[in-house]
Amino acid sequence: MSVTDRFDPDGVKCVVWDLDGTLWDEIAVESATDDLPTPRPAALAAIDELAARGVLSSIASRSAPSVLDRLDAVPEVRARFLAPQVSWQDKSESLRRIAKDLGIAVEALVLVDDSPYERAEVEALLPGVRTLAPEDVPALLAAFEGREVTAESRERVRRYRTEETRRAEGERFEGSREEFLRWCDMRLTVGAATADEIPRALELAARTHRLNSSGLTPDRLRELASSDGHELYTARMTDRFGDYGIIGAALVDRTRRTRPAAPADPGVWSVPLLALSCRVAGRGAAAAFLFRLMERARAAGAGEFRVTLRPTDANLEMRILLRQAGLRRTDEIAGGAAGGTGTAATADSAVLGRTLQGDLPGSPAWLHVSDREDAEA
Amino acid sequence: MTDTRERAAVERELRSLIAGAARLDEAVVAELPADTDLFGPRIGLTSLAGVTLLGTIDQRYGVDVAALDLSLDSLQSIATLTDFVASHLQSH
Repeated sequence: MSVTDRFDPDGVKCVVWDLDGTLWDEIAVESATDDLPTPRPAALAAIDELAARGVLSSIASRSAPSVLDRLDAVPEVRARFLAPQVSWQDKSESLRRIAKDLGIAVEALVLVDDSPYERAEVEALLPGVRTLAPEDVPALLAAFEGREVTAESRERVRRYRTEETRRAEGERFEGSREEFLRWCDMRLTVGAATADEIPRALELAARTHRLNSSGLTPDRLRELASSDGHELYTARMTDRFGDYGIIGAALVDRTRRTRPAAPADPGVWSVPLLALSCRVAGRGAAAAFLFRLMERARAAGAGEFRVTLRPTDANLEMRILLRQAGLRRTDEIAGGAAGGTGTAATADSAVLGRTLQGDLPGSPAWLHVSDREDAEA
Repeated sequence: MTDTRERAAVERELRSLIAGAARLDEAVVAELPADTDLFGPRIGLTSLAGVTLLGTIDQRYGVDVAALDLSLDSLQSIATLTDFVASHLQSH
């Protein structure tokens, strides 16, 4: 049985590489010169192949912190890694820091390390983290072979680097948090998805957990998005540091009616799936996307807004976001009377709703939100 | 009497936890009316801050609001959250 059996590639966001004996043959602190050892070509090729599929790479090395300075002197190697940790601390601690710096769950990391001790230490203290020996890397790559390579995936490493720069600026910025957020000049645009945006929307459905309302599968999303009365919306974001691309997707089902249907039914916007990237967490983008969708629903003549919620261990933040937007439990039940598209609640999910009359919540003052009207006809 | 005192203590402490999660001045949150909306302009709780708040409540009181309150009705105001936490404390 392969070590990567039972391996869910969608759960892996970052591969953490050991240095000595893994990324290169030598032991860096033992080399006679200050030059960085030469990385193994196969390791660099693996890192690039993972990056093409949207998987980040980082470093956890138990060595002198000065090795990191030597790494900084070789930009073509350094540029492949985010949030590298080179210190004498335990690898489990390094992995915790990497997860924190990148804003991802520690369980989304995989450690590649030639030392059985280090692998065991991480497995003991971080039971959710998979570890591999360097010779297992080809099997790791094979697990990702089927994954679609989207432009967004390829750009992911660059985006995380932009985020690192942003955070470094944030640490230097003198002023209040709100002043900093304004200074970042964040711009969110919301519009109907164009054909070339659909792979990224499906990817968000597959890869997001914290800010995913229902866990609707990518296959089901693709099917529903192309069916009558449904529309897929996306949110794109930029700030002064760069373009984050598509950071949110929402499927809107306009086939539903209030129950019991009134003669002059103003219509309902139902959202079977709302999914947002954690890449821009803590900046109000998720709330702004949801609030703008509610405004668009009202502008389109809808009287009510609904979202299907399936609570999980991971999506409390989404639940609180929906609560913040004033969405409360409705009595809509499994199967739903209208449409039969299976977007209504099932046993482990609920349909939350709110009226679109009266005041709608407003986006944070530092975010510029606008509609994108470039959708295909 | 004891219940009233306990509830008052929970409310005082929750105000401090809310201030911490929403990055507000504790003294300001201590003075807000009990019916101040958690998501309104005065407190401005965000979803991320809300996750922090429910985490600290669970740590402090052993009351897992996320698990006990599916639609998070308790996250309306300082008072409703206090009521929820205080009532679940008593059932222990």
